[in-house]
Amino acid sequence: MVSSAARAPTNDSAHIRARGVAVNFGRGARAVLSGVDLEVTKGEFVALIGASGCGKTTLLNVIAGLVPASRGTVEIAKRAPSAGRDDICYILARDALLPWRTVRGNVEYGLQLSHVGREERARRAANYIEKVGLQNYRDFYPSGLSQGMRQRVSLARAFAVERQIYLMDEPFSALDSQTKLVLHDQLLGLWETSHATVVFVTHDIGEAITLADRVVVMSKRGTGVAEEILIDLPRPRSAEALQADARYHDLYRRTWTCLKASTQ
Amino acid sequence: MTNLASSEAALSSATRTADDRPGLLLAMRTMFLALVLAIWQGSVAIGWADAAFVSTPLGVAQSLGQLIRSGELLPNLGTTIIEIALAFVASVAFGVASAVVLDRNNWLDRIVSPFLTALNSMPRIALGPLFILWFGIGPASKIVLAFSLGYFIMLLSTLGGLKNVDRDLLLMSRLFGASELRLFRYVRLPWALPGIFAGLKLTLIYCSAGAVIGEMIAAKSGLGLLVQTFSGRFDVAGVLALILIVAIMVMTLTSLMELVERRLLAWSKGSTDVPG
Repeated sequence: MVSSAARAPTNDSAHIRARGVAVNFGRGARAVLSGVDLEVTKGEFVALIGASGCGKTTLLNVIAGLVPASRGTVEIAKRAPSAGRDDICYILARDALLPWRTVRGNVEYGLQLSHVGREERARRAANYIEKVGLQNYRDFYPSGLSQGMRQRVSLARAFAVERQIYLMDEPFSALDSQTKLVLHDQLLGLWETSHATVVFVTHDIGEAITLADRVVVMSKRGTGVAEEILIDLPRPRSAEALQADARYHDLYRRTWTCLKASTQ
Repeated sequence: MTNLASSEAALSSATRTADDRPGLLLAMRTMFLALVLAIWQGSVAIGWADAAFVSTPLGVAQSLGQLIRSGELLPNLGTTIIEIALAFVASVAFGVASAVVLDRNNWLDRIVSPFLTALNSMPRIALGPLFILWFGIGPASKIVLAFSLGYFIMLLSTLGGLKNVDRDLLLMSRLFGASELRLFRYVRLPWALPGIFAGLKLTLIYCSAGAVIGEMIAAKSGLGLLVQTFSGRFDVAGVLALILIVAIMVMTLTSLMELVERRLLAWSKGSTDVPG
């Protein structure tokens, strides 16, 4: 394993910094993660990919403060991780919409929990609902929406709280490939105006390349970062246009090779 | 993709249900009732059934009129309604409160749950005479009997709703920084609401049964006392008239609850059905 510290020298602008992180589930159980280093710069979009069982979601949960690290240090904006911090927003794989609230009510929910006042809440919710193109579905309940629309509501709810760090755990894994492309563009649109730092866990190579500035390939047995690939595709990107872009396919091949090597 | 919601709506309206034709539904129901009453009245008229045992619809109607005219009904109905109301309110208040406490306190839940199951398994009606012994012949013993039935229904239906709350909704809310109080108000309580409503309707039915049966054991006033008196006189029409009054009363209140439920639970399709 190549130490990522050697390739990515410590810098003060690191927003998220993990050093030698190890996680064991249960007493004396096998390590899910061991000796993992990761640094994410402020405003950077990093995608974590790896075979299932490589611990990518566990690493994300350590950063989110949901899982304690048994060894190593994690710092987010120079503070220890903790769940429910007011500068971090976590987007779950499932949309987790409240079924008894309309689209508007669901987008306002995150703001409500962040103690944003009623008027500001309504204003921001309307703005973000429009950003994800659901202005005609404002008063629909989640049961009346497609899976893709529900995930868009989830994105609007997350970005409406305007936090500095977004952690996402395969938010689009349940969607078909067409819908995914639409969601990628919307996420990019939301992120580009937010200037937020993003860590995005996925097992979809195309998704990682479309979205991220840097793709981090995790090794199969959770022993850390196997490889990093810089995605130098220009922004703003269009998920659909990238499908016909030769550089995209070149990066895809490179990432695929790394991913395959990491599983051997 | 954006047409999905509307195409789904079109699909569900393509199959016409009885809900789309309220007028026709009402007409069919009236016809059904008329048919049942006609068979009842007719089978007595041609001698298939004995009016002394099954009475007749007209006989029941006459008894009903007589009950109202004699002034016998109102004071007894009043007693029963007060008993049902107090038992219902106590069942709901204590049932929901206990459910919230047990849901938040896993140890307490694990300790008391076998005892609650045992208490709930007891045939409470058989305890009726004991309740009379302990709480007297007045309304108190009937309220306790009705409460002993309603409390467990309310407790179990609320607890069921609180226990199966979607873990993702709790996790998402916590990650947005929700406090325990807000988790309860915004996630747990709305999640349990359909279960609570199903419980409310059942509780009302069981409280009514508890109050009337308690009065039948021993009472100074109440519909159950009248039922007992009429049974003693072999006045079948009178007994049926009283039971009809209780049924109409409970049905009216249940319909009112369904109205509130439909407004509060507009997001979930349909109202909860009363099982059993």
